[in-house]
Amino acid sequence: MTEHDGWSLDMSSGPIFEQIAKNVHQMLARGALTPGDKLPSARELAARLSVNPNTIVHAYGQLEADGVIEKRRGLGTFVREDAPVTGMKHEMLHGAASAYAEESRQLDASIQEAIAALKEVWDAG
Amino acid sequence: MLAKLDHVTKRYVKNEGLRDLTLDFPAGQVVGVLGLNGSGKSTMLKLLAGLLFPTSGHVSVFDGQPRSKRSNIVFLGERDALWPWMKPTDAERFMGNLYADFDRTRFNELLDALEVPRRKTKTMSKGERGRLRLAMALARDAKLYLLDEPLGGIDLISREKILSSIVQEWHTDETILLSTHEVAEAEGLFERVVYLRDGKLALDVSAESLREGGKSVVDTFREVLT
Amino acid sequence: MKRFMTLVWLEHRRNWMWSLPLLGSLLFWAWGIKQVLIMDVAERLAIRSGLLLAAAVIGAVVLAIMVGRIRSETRNGQYQVLLMTPPSGYAHIGARFAYAAAIGFAYYIAIGFMFWWILELAGLHLDARSLFDLILFTPFYALNITVLPMLAYVLLLMVFISAFRISGSGWIPGLTMLLASPFAYSWLGEGIVKVAYTLPGWKLFVNAPAAIIERFGQIDPEIGTEINTAIYAGAPIEPLLIMIGLTIVLLVVTGRIWQEVEA
Repeated sequence: MTEHDGWSLDMSSGPIFEQIAKNVHQMLARGALTPGDKLPSARELAARLSVNPNTIVHAYGQLEADGVIEKRRGLGTFVREDAPVTGMKHEMLHGAASAYAEESRQLDASIQEAIAALKEVWDAG
Repeated sequence: MLAKLDHVTKRYVKNEGLRDLTLDFPAGQVVGVLGLNGSGKSTMLKLLAGLLFPTSGHVSVFDGQPRSKRSNIVFLGERDALWPWMKPTDAERFMGNLYADFDRTRFNELLDALEVPRRKTKTMSKGERGRLRLAMALARDAKLYLLDEPLGGIDLISREKILSSIVQEWHTDETILLSTHEVAEAEGLFERVVYLRDGKLALDVSAESLREGGKSVVDTFREVLT
Repeated sequence: MKRFMTLVWLEHRRNWMWSLPLLGSLLFWAWGIKQVLIMDVAERLAIRSGLLLAAAVIGAVVLAIMVGRIRSETRNGQYQVLLMTPPSGYAHIGARFAYAAAIGFAYYIAIGFMFWWILELAGLHLDARSLFDLILFTPFYALNITVLPMLAYVLLLMVFISAFRISGSGWIPGLTMLLASPFAYSWLGEGIVKVAYTLPGWKLFVNAPAAIIERFGQIDPEIGTEINTAIYAGAPIEPLLIMIGLTIVLLVVTGRIWQEVEA
């Protein structure tokens, strides 16, 4: 597990390029990145996280295709002004929640029990 | 193909280093060479460097004999091979005068980035010597880098500095073969991983495709080699 | 040329401390010479000359150890670093040899000066031409027919062994070479004696003062006669040429084997 100002990688949790892309989504969702912000260059981020620069290029390519970031010639890589930020937090929470709901249902738990468990975990920090 | 091993066997006086190994390395790959002690990692890198000659089979680098291409190959051996009297300025003189592709400015930048003290190597720590040797290697502008255990026996902070310098200096047309025991720290760097066991190829795989299956390079190391 | 000079510089940084035992040896023998206090002048001169001969032999041994010290570098991996550098084996071997030869010359010139000194102590004064012969041409001649071929041979032996060390049984050819060398040397010696003086000799000490030769004659009349004959005939030029040629051949072969060394 590598953690670095908002970037976090786990080598056992799928391809690194997907995790980098997910990191950007998370940072946008919680407001650590906002539209118009500059992203570190691929080489710079690669050196910081000790990963292959090609992997970062791959991740940035994916994000660009998803309409989240754009390259500005000679300036670097930026979060697009029209990046779908508002829906993002909701969408990611929704994704995590549906996984939790699925698991709870399989345990035959009621929604009250599930919420209570969530609250317990939440309060424990 | 930048470098090639074709059915290579290397026999030493008492034991066998490699057995019938065939591998191709195209330009622009960062390859992790992984295996337990005595698995043949060093033998493979030394064969590619031209420091050893195969008992049978064929090794070629840039379509020639590795020894004859040595001015285009960077080899960083696992042994702490600097003369005790050498200071970074001596190292610069040695490398700068002998290698046409050695960039003195870049060397000094690397010394700063890697925080190498400007004194004799015999008064340096092992980590400092390791960093100096890496600066000597990375200040060259070659197409093939053979780095044998550049992180071996070196403190955590030095290891991080070394890894990030390797990333920083790597150009997309250069091929790096890096052997290491610190698999977890280095694995993000690898595009491809070659696992060796008892001098034979155990697995040759793309690192991201391993992770796609939910396994890290380290997990696979345990699985394949034990 | 820059590359070659860098290799020579490297040799210097690696080996300069070997000049210390040589310097120590010179000081020791100078001290020893002062200790010889036998009353008979001729005998004193003979003993002092003998001490200088010992100094010459010690110098050869120290130089041989200096150039032959490849093992420790193999162990520490510095040999790998050297083998990976772009200069050819000939340049590497040439630099090693050139540095040892330069140190050797300095040492044997110093011995020449010491010989001059013991002559002065014996009250014998050399003319300028003879002094030149003593401190320059005699060391050159002696070094070229003894020490330099020996150094080239030591280099060859060490590189040869290291070439086969890792994946072959280097000691078999190495031992064969070592055992064969006395025969090779006696054969070479006989050959040299046979061809000596087919060319005119190299005249040294032709104007040496008669008093000096007389003094040596006092030690042993036979030596006096021999010196007279030697001065008359000159130093044979064939051994010099043959040994220089042999040295070059040995160095070229060593440089070639360097390309095959594994590390």
